Amino acid sequence: MSGFETIVMYLGMSLLVVLAMIGISAALGPFRPKPRKATTYECGVPLLDPAEKRYDVKYYLVAVLFLVFDLETVLIYPIAVRYKALAHIGWGVFFEVFIFVAVLLAGLLYAIKKRAIEWE
Amino acid sequence: MDNWVIALIKVVFIWTWTLLIATLMTWVERRGSAMMQDRLGPNRAGPFGLFQPLADGIKLFTKEDIIPEKAHKILFSLGPILFALPAFSAYAVIPFGDKLIVNGKEIILQVADVNVGFLYVVALGAMAVYGIVLGGWGSNNKYSILGGLRSTAQLISYEVPFGLSLLAVVLVYGTFSLREISLVQQGTFLGFLPNWGIFKQPLGFILFIVTAYAEANRVPFDLPEAESEIVAGYHTEYGSMRLGLYLFGEYVNMYTLAALMVTLYFGAWHLPYIDMSKFLGPVSYGIASFLVFFLKTAFFLWLFVWVRWTVPRFRYDQVMGLGWKALIPLALVNLFITALCIQLTV
Repeated sequence: MSGFETIVMYLGMSLLVVLAMIGISAALGPFRPKPRKATTYECGVPLLDPAEKRYDVKYYLVAVLFLVFDLETVLIYPIAVRYKALAHIGWGVFFEVFIFVAVLLAGLLYAIKKRAIEWE
Repeated sequence: MDNWVIALIKVVFIWTWTLLIATLMTWVERRGSAMMQDRLGPNRAGPFGLFQPLADGIKLFTKEDIIPEKAHKILFSLGPILFALPAFSAYAVIPFGDKLIVNGKEIILQVADVNVGFLYVVALGAMAVYGIVLGGWGSNNKYSILGGLRSTAQLISYEVPFGLSLLAVVLVYGTFSLREISLVQQGTFLGFLPNWGIFKQPLGFILFIVTAYAEANRVPFDLPEAESEIVAGYHTEYGSMRLGLYLFGEYVNMYTLAALMVTLYFGAWHLPYIDMSKFLGPVSYGIASFLVFFLKTAFFLWLFVWVRWTVPRFRYDQVMGLGWKALIPLALVNLFITALCIQLTV
């Protein structure tokens, strides 16, 4: 048998225990609802303003940058695992990958220069 | 049939073991911090306060399960589950010893030796972000949302150098199987050093350990829980075992990361200069390899506690600056040097 069935068993065990933990805690804990208990936490004062408002766009910017660089990593993984065999053929793969990386690095430098990751 | 029984025993044993160690870690953390700050720490429940984690667990189980009325009910309940599930499952592909031979049957001390083990660990590590962002957003509280956003931005920023430093390890070993990586770390490197990953990837290891601390939300990168700024971050509104899953998941993550450090950079179960399999019997060798692996992991677990009480917390702009301006370029340089070395030596 391959290892994947075992991984599914492992995941199943995690899911079972996590659900059981929440279930047991819900069953054992008291249930005495009060309107005050269910209010949103606001450091001891009545709620000032709703939580749905505008947040800094920088978080979005970081997410977009992350997508680009994470894709880069994922694209290099299959090359990395066969790299020793590919290196025998010549310098072609080496330059191909690092031209690709250099283009993205130029993008990162541009993002830094445009102050995309400055937090004041 | 036999294989299934062995697999089941391994799954149950390692799953329980992982959680047991994580539970003990909460005790080590509190006793360790007490030791460093010259106080006693928890010492009432059982000998040396050893039953303190048990008491904490019972307390969390018997607390009222409150869902705030303004929360998005489904997302709120999904958050801790999505955080704990990958944390509890990531150990499945990491070895915990070499092999045990019982009645002529060879048992590999690893739950699942799959050829994509590496990717499995990285993928599950990245899944934790969902738990945090959904929990933060689902609470519908501004501290939670801010904490969740901050935490997400930090985790995904460090995901990139984390992946890149691991990429260099894959370049060196040319495989995704963590058992194969462990096996080749036997013997010596350059004639006098142990053949461990750290000597082939010194810069890679520094990058890995820094990003691992950020991924585990540990000091000095514990900004999601910067209580002096945003209350308790993404788990402000959580209570009872839902909060417990968030806190506990973090300790399980620490154990997984420490074991990954040992597997990739510190020779897994191999001792330097000594080949245990030469003079130990089949059963005692299996047990010895398990103990060696565990002792190395325990050291890195202790390092997490040690660093926590040594280094102060970073400011948020420093965290993001370090991730994008220092670690990513350094990781690319490391990748370049590694590839160049391989290219020159083939």
